[in-house]
Amino acid sequence: MISRRTGLLVLPGLALLLAGFLVPSAAMLLAPPGVSPADILARLGQMLTDPYDLAIIWRTVRLGLIVTLICLVLGFPIAYLLARSTSRWSGVLLALAIFPLLLSNVVRTFGWLVVLGSNGAIGQLLLALGLVDQAPQLLYTELAIVLGLTQLFLPLAIISCYSAVAQVDPGLDDAARGLGASRTRTFWGIVAPLSAPGIVVAATLVFAGSATAYTTPYLLGGSSQRMLSTQLFSYSSVSIDWAAASATALIMTVLVFVVSGLSSLAARRGRTS
Amino acid sequence: MSTRRPVAATLAVAGYVIMIVPILFVVATSFTGGSTLRFPPEGLSLRWFDAAVHHTPFITAMVSSLQLAALATVLALLLGIPATLAIHRGRLPGKGLVEGLFLSPLIVPELVVGLALFQQLMIGLRLDNFTVLLIGHTVLMLPYAVRVTGASLALADPFVEEAARGLGASPLRAFFTVTLPLLRPGIFSAALLSFVTSFNNVPLSLLLQSRDFRTLPVTMLDYVQQSYDPMVAATSTIILAGTVLVAVVAERTVGFARIFGGINR
Repeated sequence: MISRRTGLLVLPGLALLLAGFLVPSAAMLLAPPGVSPADILARLGQMLTDPYDLAIIWRTVRLGLIVTLICLVLGFPIAYLLARSTSRWSGVLLALAIFPLLLSNVVRTFGWLVVLGSNGAIGQLLLALGLVDQAPQLLYTELAIVLGLTQLFLPLAIISCYSAVAQVDPGLDDAARGLGASRTRTFWGIVAPLSAPGIVVAATLVFAGSATAYTTPYLLGGSSQRMLSTQLFSYSSVSIDWAAASATALIMTVLVFVVSGLSSLAARRGRTS
Repeated sequence: MSTRRPVAATLAVAGYVIMIVPILFVVATSFTGGSTLRFPPEGLSLRWFDAAVHHTPFITAMVSSLQLAALATVLALLLGIPATLAIHRGRLPGKGLVEGLFLSPLIVPELVVGLALFQQLMIGLRLDNFTVLLIGHTVLMLPYAVRVTGASLALADPFVEEAARGLGASPLRAFFTVTLPLLRPGIFSAALLSFVTSFNNVPLSLLLQSRDFRTLPVTMLDYVQQSYDPMVAATSTIILAGTVLVAVVAERTVGFARIFGGINR
């Protein structure tokens, strides 16, 4: 099988990638129909100074960071407990953590409409308990977006952390404990640093996913809590403003690239030190 | 385990609540007898399931989504498996770069890819939206095909193939009788992941809709925006049941953790 001709098998796939992905993406980012690169740069400059656009960029980055932090804080303990548990339930719990990844984002996000909506579970519960006179506005808030994104990306965080923790020898925990270290000290001194690469991967995946997600800000944020993704959609289908759409697409792409770049840099540094 | 690590256990419970409870609420409201989306549901009935399976836009879109997912999965495997072979077994200049190119659709935001295909292929080249959706979904599934089958190929011993060749098998015969069976679990995992991912996709498909061909998740999103009745809850419950079935098949054949393990490494 090792022959020059085997190498040629890459060509059909490469052709599709060029014609169906790389060329259209480059053309859209640099020269959309009737728009010059200078127009896009001008629009980009405008966005980075206009308070309305800046608020949307800042919301995207801020909510992305918050969701990343929450996913790590909730996901790492789940991964840790699952990886260290010997109970026969741990297999079921692991499957339960992975399963949502197979389920449609629309279905998962729709659940929050039932929970947070004005006729939803939380509002009705608060009313029934007499704690409020009127169901509070929970939907179409940043809180709703954060909850929705956390639900979507927590499984990814758990899987990345799980494969990292599973590689840390439990014998090291026992050794540290045997030498008198407290549970907390063992965790921060052994488990956390050794699984750091997996945590970095988890953070990158969650941030990139939540900063570019569309369904969640669309359904749970509405028109009052715009993010870059919902903004990009309205530039490209409602107002058809190609320069603004390309500028927004550029910001989103650069954001994701910078974060992925930083994380692979961190991973490399972690390996050499 | 929970009693000895109270902080970790509390956080873990919170995590599971956020992941699972909203899904349970969808199921509960889908059996409501009332006509609005509210909790607790008013009465018990199957009326919204009846409405959902008779709602032509949903049925048509469901068929469209299944067709698109199946075709894109097959295409991605037909293009991806040979490419994986070339990358792992062939003499190829710039192997790392080529592999990076095949994985690159994972990094660019899907909404951005969707916009590019909408603007350049649908409006620019006037391709019909089914063709463009198929191109987009195949591109998006290529990384799965290359990475997951690549992982099985890396485990497969190349000397077995060479032994077959040495015994007189043609390269094609060696591939089909020796290499392909070794790759089967990887191919199955890639197919399953691709199919599910394509079927559920929103950001890439969003701009690539037309009156003739619409995908189910996007049709559901539009419906939710216009009306607040429990029919989407019933449709969601049907999708959930289908997904559970897929998950059980995955667990029984290759194993859940293995399928997703291949993706993160």
